[in-house]
Amino acid sequence: MKILVVDDFSTMRRIVRNLLVELGFSNTLIQEADDGNNAITMLRNAPFDLVVTDWNMPNMTGIDLLRAIRAEPSLKALPVLMVTAENNRDQIIAAAQAGVNGYIVKPFTAVTLKEKLDKIFERLAAQGATA
Amino acid sequence: MNAVTNPLFGETLPHELQQLLSTPDGPAFEQALDGLVREREQHLFRALGVLARDLHDAVRRLGNDLAQEGVPDSVADARQHLHDVLDMSAKAAHRSLDFAERMRPRAEALQADADQVLANGGDDEAAATLARQARDFAGHCRDGLSDMVLAQSWQDLSGQRIKKVSSFIGSVESSLLELVRLTGALAGGEAPVAAAKVSSQDEADRLLSEFGF
Repeated sequence: MKILVVDDFSTMRRIVRNLLVELGFSNTLIQEADDGNNAITMLRNAPFDLVVTDWNMPNMTGIDLLRAIRAEPSLKALPVLMVTAENNRDQIIAAAQAGVNGYIVKPFTAVTLKEKLDKIFERLAAQGATA
Repeated sequence: MNAVTNPLFGETLPHELQQLLSTPDGPAFEQALDGLVREREQHLFRALGVLARDLHDAVRRLGNDLAQEGVPDSVADARQHLHDVLDMSAKAAHRSLDFAERMRPRAEALQADADQVLANGGDDEAAATLARQARDFAGHCRDGLSDMVLAQSWQDLSGQRIKKVSSFIGSVESSLLELVRLTGALAGGEAPVAAAKVSSQDEADRLLSEFGF
């Protein structure tokens, strides 16, 4: 499974990468981008199976990245997990309306990350079965 | 009409205005009224300008006092210091992550080796005890390293706050300079085109003195 981790803080990208590796994902299949612009370019150039993105980033924010993904036919089905310090109601609603697949508020634990990822893949599997 | 007893203005009417109201010359009346209003505006703008100058001086004085203790002496320096903190904290967090990434494979290897020893069985009870202890220890290490990795998210959370404070300081600085520019322009000075882009202490001082503050 190929995963793109998007965050402007290199420490947070590395933490998310570590947690994903710990959960059994392959280290070599995890790639990183430091803002939404770079992320969307990478997504257009190569296939990914999951995006884990921060909200607050320069140039293109996480919510704009999510909207850009949903607006692009070749990317719109891509699962997006938002990992952010933003926990106000309006932002969570905005993310839900933009079609986010999961929302994690920082700081979080590996258990929370696992739960949200399991839920995303369960739902996708269910959608795939009914489609 | 008697200006002094006009019920609309009562006793509070300034003396200059009382005189004006009794003059028969229309244009002279308007000119004098404009003059009065302008004079009052000038007072206000001058007061605002002095306020801005005082505020600026206070900030600078505070900076100079603090500079003797090794802290920043300008807004730009203050922002730079915050960015330095951001860099240092990121480096510290990466060092902890380096350590965790270096130690995790070792803990995993120790755990696997201990499992192997226990799976092979044998009669050596001391070796089996040691293998069990090693396996438990390696497990605790892995859990501890995971916790340590997660704990580094403080750098991201505190860093975001530092970034917000830094941009707040920047906006206070530009608001202050904008106030100087506006009061200077209203008080009769020419507003420099790029005033809002002023960033250094020297530029700020020059701008303030251009307006006579």
